[in-house]
Amino acid sequence: MQNDNTSNTQALLSMEDISKTFPGVKALDAASLGVAAGEIHGLVGENGAGKSTIIKVLAGVYGRDSGTIVLDGKALADVTPHSVHEAGVRFIHQELHLVPHFTVAESVFMGQEITGPFGLDRRAMRTRTEQFLSESLHTSISGSTLIRDLGIAERKLVQIARALIDDKARLVVFDEPTAPLASGEIDQLFAAIRRLKERGIAIIYVSHYLGEITELCDRVTVFRNGVDVAVLDHVDSHSADTIIEHMVGRELEALYPGKSHRIGDTLLDISQLSDGSRFRDVDLCVRRGEIVGVAGLIGSGREELTDTIYGLRQATSGTVTFDGDAINLKAPWAAVQKGIVLVPRDRRHDGLILDMTVGDNINLASLDEVASFRIENREKAARRAEALSDKIDIRPRRVEAVTRFLSGGNQQKVVLARWLATGSKLFILDEPTVGVDIGAKVEIYQLIEDLAKEGAGVLVSSSDPAELLGLCDRIIILMRGRVVEDRPAAELTIDSLLALTTGGHVKAASA
Amino acid sequence: MSATDTPTDIKSTLRGTFMRYGFLIIIALFFAFFTLYTGSFLNPSNLVNIVEGSSILLILALGMTLIVALGGIDLSVGIAFDMGAAFAIVAMKEYDIVWYLAVLIGIGGGGLVGLLNAFLVVKLSVSPFLATLGTFFIGSSIQRIFTNGGGPISHRRVDQEYRNLAVGDIYGIPTEIVIAAVVLVIYFIVLERSVFGKRIHAIGLQKKAALISGIKVNRYVAVCFILAAATCAIGGIIGSANLRMFTPLAGFSYLLDAIAAVFIGASIHPHGRPNVPGTLIGVLFLGMVANGLNLMGLDFNTKDALSGLILVGALAIAVGQKKLR
Repeated sequence: MQNDNTSNTQALLSMEDISKTFPGVKALDAASLGVAAGEIHGLVGENGAGKSTIIKVLAGVYGRDSGTIVLDGKALADVTPHSVHEAGVRFIHQELHLVPHFTVAESVFMGQEITGPFGLDRRAMRTRTEQFLSESLHTSISGSTLIRDLGIAERKLVQIARALIDDKARLVVFDEPTAPLASGEIDQLFAAIRRLKERGIAIIYVSHYLGEITELCDRVTVFRNGVDVAVLDHVDSHSADTIIEHMVGRELEALYPGKSHRIGDTLLDISQLSDGSRFRDVDLCVRRGEIVGVAGLIGSGREELTDTIYGLRQATSGTVTFDGDAINLKAPWAAVQKGIVLVPRDRRHDGLILDMTVGDNINLASLDEVASFRIENREKAARRAEALSDKIDIRPRRVEAVTRFLSGGNQQKVVLARWLATGSKLFILDEPTVGVDIGAKVEIYQLIEDLAKEGAGVLVSSSDPAELLGLCDRIIILMRGRVVEDRPAAELTIDSLLALTTGGHVKAASA
Repeated sequence: MSATDTPTDIKSTLRGTFMRYGFLIIIALFFAFFTLYTGSFLNPSNLVNIVEGSSILLILALGMTLIVALGGIDLSVGIAFDMGAAFAIVAMKEYDIVWYLAVLIGIGGGGLVGLLNAFLVVKLSVSPFLATLGTFFIGSSIQRIFTNGGGPISHRRVDQEYRNLAVGDIYGIPTEIVIAAVVLVIYFIVLERSVFGKRIHAIGLQKKAALISGIKVNRYVAVCFILAAATCAIGGIIGSANLRMFTPLAGFSYLLDAIAAVFIGASIHPHGRPNVPGTLIGVLFLGMVANGLNLMGLDFNTKDALSGLILVGALAIAVGQKKLR
């Protein structure tokens, strides 16, 4: 449509040969990024590929070592947050930074208040806010609503309004804007972004989600290892494979390793389990060498179920049999002793001690093995951590690095590595690949398959239907705390799985 | 761009170095200052005085370090100190128990304070701050009740061996210093080198992640509170040996110094963690400042203000250090 000849339109932003080195890391190596006026430009790459670094260089957060930045035909020599703002570049950060008990109008105008002869002109601010929200973002939110009464998507819109209310924006950078949003809310946000484009504002859209990129963007720049490895001038729903290949730098035969594991006898058998509030009468069985998926929306009781199996919460009725014995787990340590381990969904808060080293985190559950007379043997600890890092391919292998600074994929591998050598029999993986880049995702899938091959039972709880279908032998579907379906994965499709989790009817299977 | 980058880099590195070691530099400056301005500061006997005078505080501060490393705080260290003294003195005076058993009874008496804390924190899920504050109130009141309002319990004919815990020496080194050094070494091994210590740090940093990694968090919290209180009781025993009496509520005076020492120690740690060597430095710093200001002949009241200023300066450095990262 409008973007048929985007390559001919005048470049609004042109960043050329940008380099940036941090101690020990070349984050950007003569990377370039060009954005045309009035386009939505996707920026993708694995964690550590340099996409957030180049955004921070543009924002004036990091100084560049070399390279030129031209905005609107003018070369920017001294890039500071202030000068960039003056030039009409706005950033919509992942975090919201809104005060819950402020009104929408107060939030939008915070730091840029309209004043009249009697101080703040609240009425003008409210009118202007509502006008902007309805005209520019097509949404009707009252300016006097409190932020805390808004949904996350609406808050995102308020955040956008705050950045754009002065009508001077030429280029808006969205950094992973959909991370906290539900799918319906994403549509609302996309409509707002398209509306901005119609008004002639250029957009840089940074995201991990290729589905969003291909749906929304006119052009895409792919980063890998600090360089822009490809620019796609035409993006459609078939572009995802091309993008992935550029991102990982090799042909991607398949995301999933294939199911070659052999299923054995029953390992975990749950019968009529209830917790008195979030789930009821759940039956669930995991056999040795089997990968069982748990699907369900937020609030379906999926999270509470896996937490209860691990002993983080207590059941009120029902029985759990593990490895032939009836068990009643009071705490996670009791689960670990039995050989049940959990990789939690929120790895930064619940999975890792972020300020400890990679080695400490890997050894945390088996400290006794690297100790003599209860004193940690640092040599032995380092060797054990290194061996496990190699086994699970944590790159770069630096067991003495502080875990906080690792990429999402590497952090998840650290949590997995912790449980690998503890003789665990049942792995409960809650959202194992959330916030993990494609390359690491593939490796984690392979690892899960390997666990099953070695005879462990695996319970994967995930909100990604493709992941469940690609990995699992069998999927149970929870809705409002009850199991509504327990079927072999082969009998399900993404559509039927989505329909079942939302309580809709399965479309008549066409194939 | 690159031209302007280099000097700021050097400047920030210098600033980083100063922030990192700033506290040690300040200690050195004060040391030099006291040496120059008072005639007797550098005398060996005065230096021994500083160390000996810091022994009891060090023991209490180590107990505090354990709890702060665990992510809590213990406001009842003074009560454990008092209970240590009370149980030991009463055991010897009223029940004629031999001194070394009395020491064990004193340590056990302190442990009871920790047991109460552990019960409140683990079983009743009261936050450590409020739980130990409650213990502090209860413990203070109990002492007043049993001593008719706070009169000391004196035991002049205490065994000489008991007395020697405070006034004796081992190969010329004051026993007090030897005891504190032993506690220091044990704490260093436990907290900085042992598996137990690693788990305590994990709990203190991210409790839920520690729980999910299979650590018996509740058991560790309980053990730490008991261990810390028993440690503080050792301080109380030394205090009672020195005066040959149990002085009710005497332990309270150590509370704020112990907290200060632990947080000074944490502020000079590269990751801001409470740690045993840091606590030792904090204790010696407080002891040095008190002693130096004393020798300068400063008024009692001025002294506190100066100590406060010096402490705030140290904390400012700690904050500066955090901002740099």
